[in-house]
Amino acid sequence: MSLSHSTRLGSIVLLIASLAGLAIAVYAYFTPLTGVTGTLGALVAIVACLALAVLALLLAAIKGRGASIALRVLILVGLTGTFFAGMLLHQWWICAAMVVGLIGLILDMVRPSHHTRPTHA
Amino acid sequence: MPTSSFAKRPHFNTLTLGWGTATALALCLSPIPLLAQDQPDESENSEANADSTAPIPLVPGEPIWDSFHGQLNAQKYSPLDQINVDNVGELEKAWELHTGDVADGSGDLPATVWSATPVFANDTLYIGTPFYRIIALDPASGEEKWSFDTQSSLEALTQPALKNRGVAYWEADDPVAGESCQKIIYMGTMDAQLFAVDADSGEPCQGFADNGVLNANQWNDTNDKWPLSLLQPPTVVEDHLILGWAGMDWAYEEAPPGTVFSINARTGELEWTFQALSDQMREQSGTANVWTHMSADEERGLVYLPVSSPSPNYWGGNRTEEVPLGTSTTALDIETGEVVWSRQWVHHDIWDYDINSAPTLMDITVDGEEIPALIQATKMGFLFVVNRETGEDVWPIEERPVPSGDGSVEGEVYAPTQPFPTKPAPLMDQAEKPKVWALADAVSFGECSALWEELRYEGMYTPPTTEGEGTLGFPISAGGVQWGGVAFDPESQTAVVNTSHIVQYIRLYDREAYESANRASGNESGFASQEGAPYGMRLEVALNRLGMPCWEPPFGELVALDMTTGDIKWRRPLGASQQYGFYMPESWGSPTIGGPAVTAGNVIFIGASMDAKVRAYSLETGEELWSDQTEAPSVSNPAVYEYDGRQYVAFISGGNTILKNQVGDQITVYALPE
Repeated sequence: MSLSHSTRLGSIVLLIASLAGLAIAVYAYFTPLTGVTGTLGALVAIVACLALAVLALLLAAIKGRGASIALRVLILVGLTGTFFAGMLLHQWWICAAMVVGLIGLILDMVRPSHHTRPTHA
Repeated sequence: MPTSSFAKRPHFNTLTLGWGTATALALCLSPIPLLAQDQPDESENSEANADSTAPIPLVPGEPIWDSFHGQLNAQKYSPLDQINVDNVGELEKAWELHTGDVADGSGDLPATVWSATPVFANDTLYIGTPFYRIIALDPASGEEKWSFDTQSSLEALTQPALKNRGVAYWEADDPVAGESCQKIIYMGTMDAQLFAVDADSGEPCQGFADNGVLNANQWNDTNDKWPLSLLQPPTVVEDHLILGWAGMDWAYEEAPPGTVFSINARTGELEWTFQALSDQMREQSGTANVWTHMSADEERGLVYLPVSSPSPNYWGGNRTEEVPLGTSTTALDIETGEVVWSRQWVHHDIWDYDINSAPTLMDITVDGEEIPALIQATKMGFLFVVNRETGEDVWPIEERPVPSGDGSVEGEVYAPTQPFPTKPAPLMDQAEKPKVWALADAVSFGECSALWEELRYEGMYTPPTTEGEGTLGFPISAGGVQWGGVAFDPESQTAVVNTSHIVQYIRLYDREAYESANRASGNESGFASQEGAPYGMRLEVALNRLGMPCWEPPFGELVALDMTTGDIKWRRPLGASQQYGFYMPESWGSPTIGGPAVTAGNVIFIGASMDAKVRAYSLETGEELWSDQTEAPSVSNPAVYEYDGRQYVAFISGGNTILKNQVGDQITVYALPE
């Protein structure tokens, strides 16, 4: 795995998890008899997953340390809130997606810094 | 013109299978049934003739579900046991149907409220819809046999929604071969028309009233403020159709008085009427009508009426004399309509405590004595049990002193005492002011506590006031037990009832204050005029600004009672509350509208909860055994029937805006895998 790839692994996992959550939320919103069809709660979950996907892309692109930390905090709040919403909506796969997203966030947090450049002896 | 379409293909599907911003959004007839029994042999017949008042058999033999409450005794009991506690978890959807007759109120049509119970008779499943169509369905597949469109105007003439509670079924004891209308389906409309159609073809019965249509509004001759809406199908007792009606609550001081009509099932001719109000009271008050189903004991020749409160609902200065038949259970002679006995459950009712469900008839063994009893569920959360022959107490019902007024309401008089049952225990504890729910209070920064301080409560039957935010009621009109009533398993002598724990508050406004409050509110928040009376009113559910209940959960329960002792066998939260799609913990339960059915398989089937799920519970333990998601809350009793050797349970999911803004047009039928 290239360095570039490995540094972005966390955000890629987060992106995929967010998109998976989005798909589940869209399904729950539009499909009859999910128990939350057409509800404001399911719509909130859609918007939250969409926002997390955008934040995942930003996380991959952003380079400043302070901005990275702020973004990670924002994502953590988003993941927690969406997890909680998924739980209250009885959409357990959204909860699972958010757990995967959290793993992505953790991977991103332990990645080599964007500012770090390999040095040659 | 009404239309009928025979064997028209439906829009139907056959299926083979089957807390809000985070926590803060939280919650934010054949007349057989009473007699349902094994076919008697000759010696039994002799005994029956010798004693014409033989009690209902403890355990009926025939599975019957041909009326609103399944059987005319309103037990909602089926002796079928193919589906039982051991296999109910395997239930799957046999078929479902969407009638298309649904509106959410966002367009030109008012919202629909569909509280029908499917009727199984004549090897057919019959349903009525909120668009006032009758549909006949194959019980095994859901395929449409015929439909009949009354072409009734879809206007909310008396109710805020288009409402329907289904159809009634009658069949001749002596059917004439080759003649139509020996079996008839009846359905009423919001505009007071009762339709009669042939059960086999859906064609209007020309011999009934005016070519198959009876105009009940022809008898609306006193305080004609609204049409006598026929939302509840008639109660069929032998060849009599016992017909009540619904109107506009809270709107007028003087209103159409409550008359019950007995109609000949074959011809539509008026046989007798029952009036709950005196002639004088009929002029100056009104209602005290019967808007829900009734039950009957054919062997004793009695029909039991759950009578509502007189008008206006929250002020009684126009009816200071006693109104003994108001808010009562009244037994009438089925042939003459004469009162045989009556028990008033609320004296001088100024809380809209309409008796809202048919009493459930049952034979119970108390202290070794078999008693022909009935149990009357109420909005107050009281269950009154009396001898259904005489109206006498089975367990003592005591007259206890109740709070009087605070002097703020002119012209009002107050009953010094009210009836309290000693057994069964009340379904909720109304003796003390309900505690404020700490969570709802905390997230609303003390809004609930502040409201509580402004609400007067001195115990059950605290009268309405003009002071503060008004009087707290636990419950008032929305709580306790609704029209689903009590189910009864005659084998174990267990009664089952669902209940809501809802705190509301009522405030009266003098006319001048009301007019100004009305304009400020846009008349959208529980205000009603009580036109003609000196006071308008406002009724609200005690919620904080986030939509959370200010009182502690649970918000609804399912309760089983041992009717040999009157003791509670078990109780548990029922369903889950849901707001904006967010489910609350099931330990909080849900307010409930609708009712249970019980079977010999020791299973309780019920919808009724906000989460629009239908569930099965163990009759013995109350354990939840099965559930499935439906389109909207199932606000009626389910139907249990057998067809071609297979047992089915059918739920109608139509929703009710009292519970939640969610409507549906779905009938879902479940069975075990073939």
